[in-house]
Amino acid sequence: MGKQMVMSVMSKDRPGIVADITGVIYQLQGDLADLNQSVLCDYFTMILIATFDDSVTPEDVVAGFSHIQSETKLEVVVKEMDTPMEVAKAKRVKETYVLTAQGKNKSGLVHRIGLFCCQQGINILDLATTLSGDQYTMILQLDLSRVKSVDTIRTSLTGYAEESGLTVVLQHEDIFKATSEISLF
Amino acid sequence: MLRSDHILATVEMIQKENLDVRAVTMGINLLDCRGGDVRETCRRVEEKIGTVAARFVATCDQVSQKYGIPVVNKRISVTPIAFVGAGFDRHGFVELALALDRAAAAVGIDILGGFSAQVEKGMTATDREYIASIPEALARTEKICASINIASSQKGINMDALALIGQTVKDLAEITKEQSGFGAAKFVVFCNQPGDNPFMAGAIHGLEEADLVLNVGVSGPGVIARALERLIHTKGRDNLGLDDIAEEIKQTTFRVTRCGELIGRKVSEELGIEFGVVDLSLAPTPTVGDSVGEILQILGVDVVGAPGSTAILAMLNDAVKKGGIFASKAVGGLSGAFIPVMEDAVLAEAVGSGALCLEKLEAMTCVCSVGLDMIPVPGSVDADTISAIIADEMALGMINNKTTAVRLIPVPGKEAGELVSFGGLFGASPIMPVRNVGKSSRFIAWGGRIPAPLHSFKN
Repeated sequence: MGKQMVMSVMSKDRPGIVADITGVIYQLQGDLADLNQSVLCDYFTMILIATFDDSVTPEDVVAGFSHIQSETKLEVVVKEMDTPMEVAKAKRVKETYVLTAQGKNKSGLVHRIGLFCCQQGINILDLATTLSGDQYTMILQLDLSRVKSVDTIRTSLTGYAEESGLTVVLQHEDIFKATSEISLF
Repeated sequence: MLRSDHILATVEMIQKENLDVRAVTMGINLLDCRGGDVRETCRRVEEKIGTVAARFVATCDQVSQKYGIPVVNKRISVTPIAFVGAGFDRHGFVELALALDRAAAAVGIDILGGFSAQVEKGMTATDREYIASIPEALARTEKICASINIASSQKGINMDALALIGQTVKDLAEITKEQSGFGAAKFVVFCNQPGDNPFMAGAIHGLEEADLVLNVGVSGPGVIARALERLIHTKGRDNLGLDDIAEEIKQTTFRVTRCGELIGRKVSEELGIEFGVVDLSLAPTPTVGDSVGEILQILGVDVVGAPGSTAILAMLNDAVKKGGIFASKAVGGLSGAFIPVMEDAVLAEAVGSGALCLEKLEAMTCVCSVGLDMIPVPGSVDADTISAIIADEMALGMINNKTTAVRLIPVPGKEAGELVSFGGLFGASPIMPVRNVGKSSRFIAWGGRIPAPLHSFKN
């Protein structure tokens, strides 16, 4: 199936970055499998997975990116994937839970919730935070498939919430799908 | 991809607004439990319920824990017992009630409904024995609820049964007078009783149903009330019209219903039992903030019972149905706003202040589900007056093609204005005055039937 590479790109945001990046992959005859892009406070970041011919090296891809003519410099990391996988067949996590934590902003909030997840064997699949006034909101999508009892996690979370002064709610992803999407069943 | 604002809106609903699934009710067919005598039938009934519902409560708890949404009541409804006990005398029916009560306790459910009969057109000898057994059966059991369907839009009103029922309600209250007539709170009289209603006291497993089925009752007056308060606070009262309010109710009901359906379907999958319906009802509880009356106040009447109350209730009931029907694959049961006086602190308060009278409540039941529900009346009100109040409510259901019901508690030894409290979900209220007592006996004495209305002739 050729050589699968994962690429990470960061830059100051401007119009045309997606066209530039995908143009490089296209010229190298790469097949783009999946990507995820986000802009935060005027900074652009993107992670991509693409398959290239065996002859293409990560260095070739980096070189392609470096030839992009732009006022903003692209910071690029390219790696060949250790264990190539078919994106379409990638395993979906079965036990995805959504954790929301809201409270007064202070330093170390994300670190502490990260640490909590780490100690409980929970993998964070997605994390988004917003600051509105002095209220900080974290929304995490978590993989609880390694966790034996959700109840135990909830109990520990109660302790964590008290200690950190945050309002924390853990719910199964299905609840949000049910309340926010039209077709579930 | 889940959006943050959707996630936060749902979290708000679950955490701050006490979203729950009010009832998961397992319907069980008992027609195959008939034995050669009362004892054998009772044994088979206990055995069947014990077998099919063995994992019911544990499964509800497990799904509830996984999704973090409480399932408040786990209940069972059974085939109307007058069919199961055909040919039994009143003592046989009492034995059946005791067997059902033991079965309910054994599987750990809250309440079991279906100690019932359907007599909207005529009564068999068995039906009469069943009716005669009701006071003792309910007095001697803890978890059993009884109901009887005495009217329908298709068949009219069985006035012979109605006359008996007025006295039954009185006897029920009298036999449980030590508990302020609590027995009458476990008995409800219907017109157009649905066979798939998960709410008590009127849940039955209709004859039209499969062997086992799981119905879910979603509720959430508190969720609707908080959503409306938030909308009014955010947008400002002057920038909103009643159509905006109706839309908010619809959207909120959609989300509440989806949660109920999700939980119900998961329990049903785990148990391997067919999923029946979601009943989209706003069922209040005595808890502060979980009141239908409060919604009426938010929407603009200072007290429930003031002019405008009926119109608001009509809009609320309709918006709840519209939001819920799209959210669920199968909707059934009662599906509407309940106004049970004792179970709704705001309604009870309105009775206490004299703002809400029986006649206004009757008018309000024309536009909502389900009827004159959980109303304590003076113990001195005679049986014929109670029958006549029931007759009026049955007529509303019959003519309007809707379910109506009556659950009156004539509290022995107490008069209007005195407080009665049953505690827990059954709540408390001052006793509602009844006007024109003792003036309907000639009407009740007719007996016979009120014929089926014109619009029943559709064949």
